[in-house]
Amino acid sequence: MVDNINNKQDLESPIIEAEDVTVRFPLIDTPDVYAVKNFNISVKPGEFVGLMGEPGCGKSTAAMSLLGLVRPPGIFESGSVKYMGKDLLQMEDEEVRSIRGKDIGMITQNPRYSLHPMLRVGDQISNVFRAHNKVSSKEAWSHAVDMLKLVGINDPERRVKAYAHELSSGMAQRVLIAMALSSSPKLLLADEPTSGLDVTIQAQFLDQMWDACRQTKSAVLLVTQDLGIVANYCDRVLIMYEGQIVEDSDVFTFFKSPKHDYSKRILQLQREAQEAGDAVATNIDQKSDPLMKVNSLIKEFPIRGSKSRVHAVDNATFELRSGECLGLVGESGSGKTTIGRCVLRLEQPTSGEIIFRDERLDTLSIKDFQEKRSNLQIVFQDPLDSLNPRWTVEQVLKEPLDLHTKMTEQEKMSRISELLNLVGLEASMRQALPREMSAGRQQRTSIARAIASNPDFIVLDEPTSALTPETTAEIIRLLMDLSTSLGISYLFISHDLTTIKYICHRVVVLYLGQIVEVGTKEQVFNDPKHPYSRALLAAHLFPDTSDRRVDRDVRESLEGEIPSPVTENLPKGCYLYGRCSHQLDQCRDMKQKLTKMEDGRFVGCWRVSEGAL
Amino acid sequence: MVRRFIIKRLLIALLQLIGISIVVFFMIRLLPADPVARLVGFNASEEAVQQATESLGLHYSSGQQLLNYVGVFSVTGEPGIINGYLGKSWVTSEPILHEVTRFLPITLEMITYALILAFIIALPLGMSSATRPGGAADKFTFVWGLFAGSQPEFWWGILFVFIFFFALQQAGLPHAPAPLGRIDPLLDVPNSITGFILIDSLLRGRLDIFINAAHHLMLPVLTLVFVVSGPIVKMIRQNMIRVIRSDYILYARSAGLPPRKIALYALRAAMAPAMTLTAIIYGFLLGGAVPVELIYSIGGIGEYSIRSIISFDYPAIQGTVLVIAMVSLIIYLALDIVHAMLDPRITF
Repeated sequence: MVDNINNKQDLESPIIEAEDVTVRFPLIDTPDVYAVKNFNISVKPGEFVGLMGEPGCGKSTAAMSLLGLVRPPGIFESGSVKYMGKDLLQMEDEEVRSIRGKDIGMITQNPRYSLHPMLRVGDQISNVFRAHNKVSSKEAWSHAVDMLKLVGINDPERRVKAYAHELSSGMAQRVLIAMALSSSPKLLLADEPTSGLDVTIQAQFLDQMWDACRQTKSAVLLVTQDLGIVANYCDRVLIMYEGQIVEDSDVFTFFKSPKHDYSKRILQLQREAQEAGDAVATNIDQKSDPLMKVNSLIKEFPIRGSKSRVHAVDNATFELRSGECLGLVGESGSGKTTIGRCVLRLEQPTSGEIIFRDERLDTLSIKDFQEKRSNLQIVFQDPLDSLNPRWTVEQVLKEPLDLHTKMTEQEKMSRISELLNLVGLEASMRQALPREMSAGRQQRTSIARAIASNPDFIVLDEPTSALTPETTAEIIRLLMDLSTSLGISYLFISHDLTTIKYICHRVVVLYLGQIVEVGTKEQVFNDPKHPYSRALLAAHLFPDTSDRRVDRDVRESLEGEIPSPVTENLPKGCYLYGRCSHQLDQCRDMKQKLTKMEDGRFVGCWRVSEGAL
Repeated sequence: MVRRFIIKRLLIALLQLIGISIVVFFMIRLLPADPVARLVGFNASEEAVQQATESLGLHYSSGQQLLNYVGVFSVTGEPGIINGYLGKSWVTSEPILHEVTRFLPITLEMITYALILAFIIALPLGMSSATRPGGAADKFTFVWGLFAGSQPEFWWGILFVFIFFFALQQAGLPHAPAPLGRIDPLLDVPNSITGFILIDSLLRGRLDIFINAAHHLMLPVLTLVFVVSGPIVKMIRQNMIRVIRSDYILYARSAGLPPRKIALYALRAAMAPAMTLTAIIYGFLLGGAVPVELIYSIGGIGEYSIRSIISFDYPAIQGTVLVIAMVSLIIYLALDIVHAMLDPRITF
């Protein structure tokens, strides 16, 4: 193990200490896999430790091994896992069992799959509590209610009776936390606990864990791939590579001078993307005629067998200039994907105008619109899903050329070579099938297909959310290069503010289908005005240790969860009413209008436009 | 919610039954069969044929026959199925309902015991072969499934008769009774209460009959268990393997739940699909247990339906089909309700 810092903590003996742990997965027909090999770790009380690494490096198996558990059919080959000096791997079953869930709590990546689908969550929490505490089932049940209240679930008396499938993933995650914390463990293992959660929920949850860690002197081992989480919460960072810990440094040292090649690489990529982002020319002429105008776009989806409707997009108005990258940000259910689809007529808008180069797109017949498609393209979130699994890269790239150009076969072939070159794919990839390529290469193929017909405008629908942080940085670079060299405008849809910050010129912030703020990147990121933008920015974790969320005096956050956008659920006045920390009574019944501010941005909050905020 | 679901399902079942009876009614009449000739013989006189045709009501048009059968606008004035009257057997002249209620419980009793037993055996077997794939229980199940499933049940039935009755008797050992019915010919079947002989004999306090009947039921039930357990065990094993590797079982272990609780968690999740399979087999066996019934001379509904078909006894065929369909539908409904109680993800 590498040298470790923090003298104060060195005085205390570790809660958990693993030495030389090796986990083998016996496989039939193929050589056995060693998910974890000679793994060493030690965590002290009150520490918040981050465990990072590429997918498949053994992080999850390593975390699980600290409970003396492996996922079947894995087996412990060697090593020891000492909890308070006693080896879990040598203990009697009953003794280990009394430690699991009581002294060491676990939170897993897929909360809904970790809950039994046929038992009420209250029963599951009670069962865990009763496994470690001598209480009646009635006491355990009321303890379960208390725990749900503690982790911030509204209406715990009702939720305690819910089943896993009735909960949102955010709520299921909290149930798991309630279960993990029910016996006040001294060590909490959290395996990518926030993947799939929205940023504001993620912040609520990590804040809670941080507070618990500091107040009760319990320790947290957080498995993650997110540099932002590490930078903002962790005291110490462990890097795992091919089943081993290869780097162990405190968080500030890690970001300043990473040691291992993998750490250097991810931080370097991050830095490059950031620098490129800072260099993005923000002087897009906002006076010039817009390339695309969206006026009062509304999209509602009927619900089968019910009179109510889902309000996906509510009166959205914005413009996009030539060569501009406009970011569309918001949490799940904010309507950003629906806007992207309406703009391309993949969904027919309920009402509103979509104007591209002074021509109404929304009223064109499907046949006439078909001709426009070569000019308006899209790249989807999941690269594998959006490529035909039976087509080679060449076939994928040839399709748009067949459809939209009158090239000869030979011209098409040379155009394909050109495209491969543009997106940085090796010529040898030409005959590859999608599943034979890495996710990054798949997404490059998707991008190449989108630019094949020389479009002026591309909708990028979360193009990087299915990718590792490393690949994300590469794809962002590629998209930026293409935008400058080919003059393409982007509508960039993402819930990830970090990528938006790198690539976009202007940003549209969405909440519950409504636009709440539109402004330049600087305006929105450096000085957000709308209470929702503020909370979103404050909750977002940038990979930067100079302004850690845990060090801030006030952690701006939102209460509760985003309501579902169904007719009768929608708030009467301001959609943020009930969650906003700046709300007044008037907000409840007052509809908000997007108003232009002095500095040119638009904000949909009456208190902001009156200068009160 | 549940009540509305049940009412809805019963109404649908009613429509299904009406559909089935109409389809069966016409399909039988499409057969190139001559029930009259069957009744009076091929050399019967013109008048005899005429008389027989009229007594069977076959001189009416098909549409009119259907109305007579259903019991609306009936020309004969007799009640029809809407009055709960299934007609009279052309062979025995007994009301079909009487015959069906006599024969149906015999089959129901046999297959109910067989399936309960099969499920009881399959559950631990499936679980232990799932927890230790490749272990003794798993290998045994595999060989058994392969063996039992690959041979038809009448073959197993004959083999069992040979081994447990004939061979054991020859060897002078305790042996199964002769395959000649469900009770010793010297004893009387107790008056029906439920129609299930084991239950009736207990209710009437006749322990001797109970033991005798159980003895007679042993081999047929064993034959069925032997044949149908294979797929049930496999189903439970597959489910169990999936459940054991699931995230929620891993999480239950990581939360330190006691082994007994974890087993219950796993069982709960693995059982529901196996129950569906069991009910499907049950529905199938209602009419499909005929070979076993015949070998052991049980005299159940399967045997009765075969007899009706061979003798072109139209009302009897229609009646049996209708009653078997009804029982199947009720069983499926009951199962859906139980399934929904086990698994909250299923909504009505």
